[in-house]
Amino acid sequence: MIDEQLIIFLSNVLAYVAIYLMVNVSLNFEYGFTGIPNFGKVLAVAGGAFVVGAVPGRILASQLNLFAGYRAVQDNPVLAECLSTLVQVKPKLMESIDYIEDNAVVVDCVRRVLVNDPLLSISLLVASVGLAALVGAGLGFIASYPSIRLREDYLAMTLLAMGEFLRQVGYLDRTLVGGTLGVAVPDPYGWLGVFRPYASTLIMLTVAVLFFLYVRAVTYSPAGRVLRAVRDSEMAAEVLGIDVVRVKQKVLVVSSMMAAVAGALWAFNSVAVIANTYDRFTWTFWPWVMVIIGGAGNNRGVLLGTLVFVILRQAILTYNYLLEPFIPFSIVWLDRLLFGIALIIVLIIRPQGIVPEKPTPAISFEKIRKMVQKS
Amino acid sequence: MVFIDPVIRDAVIFASMLSLLTLGLTLNYLTTKVPNFSHGSFASIGMMTMLTMTAAFNQPAYLSLLPAFLLGGFAALALYLLVLRPLISRDASLVSQMIATIAFELILIAVLNIYADYFTQTFKVQSRGFLIRRFDVRILGEPGVFIIAPALAVSTVFLLYLLLNKTRFGIGLRAAIENPSLAGTLGINVKRAYTFSWFLAGGLGGVAGSLLALWFQGSPNYGSELLISIFAAAIVGGLQNIYGAVAGGYLLGLVEVLGTRQLGLTFGPWITVYRPLIPILAMAITLLLLPQGLVSLRLRGVFKQVQRGGSE
Repeated sequence: MIDEQLIIFLSNVLAYVAIYLMVNVSLNFEYGFTGIPNFGKVLAVAGGAFVVGAVPGRILASQLNLFAGYRAVQDNPVLAECLSTLVQVKPKLMESIDYIEDNAVVVDCVRRVLVNDPLLSISLLVASVGLAALVGAGLGFIASYPSIRLREDYLAMTLLAMGEFLRQVGYLDRTLVGGTLGVAVPDPYGWLGVFRPYASTLIMLTVAVLFFLYVRAVTYSPAGRVLRAVRDSEMAAEVLGIDVVRVKQKVLVVSSMMAAVAGALWAFNSVAVIANTYDRFTWTFWPWVMVIIGGAGNNRGVLLGTLVFVILRQAILTYNYLLEPFIPFSIVWLDRLLFGIALIIVLIIRPQGIVPEKPTPAISFEKIRKMVQKS
Repeated sequence: MVFIDPVIRDAVIFASMLSLLTLGLTLNYLTTKVPNFSHGSFASIGMMTMLTMTAAFNQPAYLSLLPAFLLGGFAALALYLLVLRPLISRDASLVSQMIATIAFELILIAVLNIYADYFTQTFKVQSRGFLIRRFDVRILGEPGVFIIAPALAVSTVFLLYLLLNKTRFGIGLRAAIENPSLAGTLGINVKRAYTFSWFLAGGLGGVAGSLLALWFQGSPNYGSELLISIFAAAIVGGLQNIYGAVAGGYLLGLVEVLGTRQLGLTFGPWITVYRPLIPILAMAITLLLLPQGLVSLRLRGVFKQVQRGGSE
């Protein structure tokens, strides 16, 4: 029994490390390296997730002619099997099926089709994530509009409000992702059977590592020094001929793409999108906590911060029954209390985070040594 | 008895209290130059105080304004003295200070929710989504909060005006805001002035929250959800002086409630659910058209233009 719990704990840790690493790396790209205080990180994450909630299910269903109702798809054995009993309960399904109203039915039918069709599943995953990245880039571009014009404090407030905007729209507008109830999402990993959760985690981890390596490569390159120059002194950077506005725009577009991909993969991982779960605490404040505790402007620090945060938080959530007797309140609030206090302490005592930022050499030490040896 | 549309009551109470919250946020911003992301939760503190005093201890509703003021004030003091001042003395960046207020918000929300759980367990009274209008008094046949909320907002502004312009301490406070180092050399205790203004801002937030609880459905997260409205009102007000903040708070509060209703009447009820988007849009429009906020509006110039337009 303990082992089972340990496996759940470990797989949760892996999934959360993967998803948060993607978001944190992109936040670090914006804040740690370029100095844009993005308090609306949730905007792009929610954008990616909403794309997955709204688009692939609809497209697949309309391709299968599912919206026309049971009569139109009777010939398709898979769909007929999926709908035949339901139609008796709900005769309306004969004529038409609505994506939001009958979401469970639609997604169930689509899922049955996907289970037998790995190729379709994979192309669904790739296409949706690609679309999410595009939407993320668009959102990043919109977010860059205030970012290149406003001072830090105004910017923080505006971006926070923008992040809230998308969540509110998703929550209030039923037609997008089902409003309060949310929508189920077609499962592109369904054909893998019992290996489904591992596959999803593996994909997320792979993408997270790719993002990590990408940002690392950028920050060690001359472009990384440009970003730092913009962060440390905009005016000096301008004097050196750097187009600060363009740099900030590019960074926001790229990092929002990453965050949107993270949101999309997370939606596929949890096979559902509920607008209200994309709130500023989960997708803006927690990433900030991890980046600051780990060390902003520093790739290793962000990795460490993510690991520390996720492991601690999952440990609290998984083994809550061990803590319950010692704590006189519901355990769900413990993480906010704990990490709030930890964040303040880190900010006061060690503002550079666990791993402080180190100056990066223009060329690697290896090359310098070789050059010295040659001469 | 005069018939008053219930929406007007909603609008007046909401706008008055939003203006008090905006005033507090702006006052804090003027002193320490950091937007306080936990300001909304000061209102939640006031809300829970009101709930506790009335539903649990059966005290008269307006007696709980005092503990709400004190608790809100102490929360703000804790934030300023324990979190922000150490950061400022270490030359922490503005972003670090903003994150610190977010961290404080996390703590406040945790504490408020823990208290709400404890409250429900102990007193067997609902602490999320509660309505405690029944504890309100009636003045002239109207709910008391409908009279007291705007009266309190107006008198607070008036008293603050007197304090800031007619008393030695208030003039010192203004000096400390305008030019801290110069005020310091003139013997004004800048830190004490700032501490006072933080306490005052938190206290006003607590009072606003407790009055909001007498009319609207309260919860420990109410203030946190109100934060965007407060920011929007502060930006509309211009974040430069407290009168602009009050004007922004009233304007946005009224627009949020009455505007939503008007939109609903014009376009059909489906649009009313989009109310939370109004402050966000107001913020965007202000920043695009009038980045300095309402205070930068030159009314005389507008009148002149209108006159000119009329004569042409």
